[in-house]
Amino acid sequence: MAAQNLIETSDLTKQYGKNICVSHLNMQVPEGAIYGFLGPNGAGKSTTLKMLLGLARPTNGSITLFGIPVNEKNRVRLLTDTGSLIESPSYYGHLTGEENLCIIQTLKNCPKEDIDKVLHIVRLEEARHKQVNHYSLGMKQRLGLAAALLGFPRLLILDEPTNGLDPAGIQEMRELIRTLPSDYGMTVVVSSHLLSEIDQMADHAGIISRGRLVYQNTLEALHSHARQQIALRTSHLPVALDILRQNGIEAAVEEDYLLIPMTDDACVAHLCRQLISQNLSLYRVEKREKSLEDIFLSLTGKEHSL
Amino acid sequence: MNTLIKVIRTEQMKLKRSPVWIAFLTLPAISAFFGTFNYLNNLDLLKSEWFSLWSQHSLFLCYFFMPALIGTYCSCLWRLEHTRHNWHSFLTAPVPRLTLYLGKLFHAVLMTVLSSVWIFTLFYVCGRLCGIQAPFPAAASEWFVCGIAGGTAICCVQLYISLMIRSFALPVGIALAGGIGGLFMTSKGFGLYYPYSLYSMGMRANNPQREIDLVSFCVNSAAYIVVFAGLSVFYLHKHEMAAG
Repeated sequence: MAAQNLIETSDLTKQYGKNICVSHLNMQVPEGAIYGFLGPNGAGKSTTLKMLLGLARPTNGSITLFGIPVNEKNRVRLLTDTGSLIESPSYYGHLTGEENLCIIQTLKNCPKEDIDKVLHIVRLEEARHKQVNHYSLGMKQRLGLAAALLGFPRLLILDEPTNGLDPAGIQEMRELIRTLPSDYGMTVVVSSHLLSEIDQMADHAGIISRGRLVYQNTLEALHSHARQQIALRTSHLPVALDILRQNGIEAAVEEDYLLIPMTDDACVAHLCRQLISQNLSLYRVEKREKSLEDIFLSLTGKEHSL
Repeated sequence: MNTLIKVIRTEQMKLKRSPVWIAFLTLPAISAFFGTFNYLNNLDLLKSEWFSLWSQHSLFLCYFFMPALIGTYCSCLWRLEHTRHNWHSFLTAPVPRLTLYLGKLFHAVLMTVLSSVWIFTLFYVCGRLCGIQAPFPAAASEWFVCGIAGGTAICCVQLYISLMIRSFALPVGIALAGGIGGLFMTSKGFGLYYPYSLYSMGMRANNPQREIDLVSFCVNSAAYIVVFAGLSVFYLHKHEMAAG
């Protein structure tokens, strides 16, 4: 990880009554990163993001943004450098898109030209004079992102920003988020319950399950956890298992397959000859890779939905 | 101060195209219409010209319409934030929470002032249309100022109620009930201690020649303003956005 973290939480805990939503979370988001905050529904993502923004108070632990502690005294200063889109986009439906942005622009004290820039970025220029009540869900989501981008803050916090978007809109949003660090020097925290989404957008990942951070590192490191195996399907599984044992290979049985650790081609060819020589029919020889989704499920527990 | 002006500007933008302006125009007009109708039908009993007309105008207005109208203003102001996830953007604006509240209070009081201007305009126009030739009563300026003071106390109470209750209609209903209760409290001599009576007492509703203890009136109005504004700001500090 890079030396300087833009966000650091220490033992961050949030409890509502007896329900612990976030437990001893130590989050570290390097400056300039796109940090994918991943977890099943109800894992504590939104609660954590709300604590980062001061919308919810931690029961225990501490948060620093830009090296400054998050507290009431520093609230205004920290929010000046932060843009956010939490859950669903906020908007005043009876006002136009431009009027909505004008409200945020006035409060953030950023240049009026920023409104044109962010409308251009999210491609809402043509709908700027339309009342937001008449926007589609995707347009409202893009307006929410435009509002978060106003003032081009150092830190952008996006909670499930692709919710409600059509496939083209999702792709567009992902591409836009990917460009933010390089084009505007932003650090982006983006939450999602979809691993594939984070995989396509982020360079760092934090995986939260039942309020606990179960993984945090670069996405590259997560990929390296993916494990390769050889899967064999034969006419008689127990016999095949014995033959493999005689060759010093411990195999795992999964459904109708025998799974053996990844090995070289010569070894695979030798094992196949051995099986056939014992009058076994060899139906399939496959290379298997433990996918990111498998890793995600093993980290978060299979009972949680993706 | 600069931040407060910005917040006031944004609150002003939010009220654009708001349906609240319909209530602003119609409720005092309905009240003036009925008041004038009553006055014209009872000219043999109501002989004090401006004072008599005011007694009829202010009767329904101050006890029934105005508390409900102020309640509507306050509900409208907070409804903007209660709906469409606007609490998130409202509370993540880089502005102190006290300033955010003052922006709301400023507009609640401004609409009360504008309503009072509209009420007195209707009063003057109706008086002239009824053929009252006497000069407009100088005492009306005191009624106006006292009405604003009492109205501001109701604004603070209603802003607190509408902040806590997400419903639009319930706080308006509370204001309406409060106004009717004000009639009872004033008749029992407790009007100065009851927030919804302060507006009608300040406006000398139903009795333009009533003498009120101005010091007690101002102290009690100020007390309600400080206490309920303080409660609202405290609530804004302590309130948390629950996870969705």
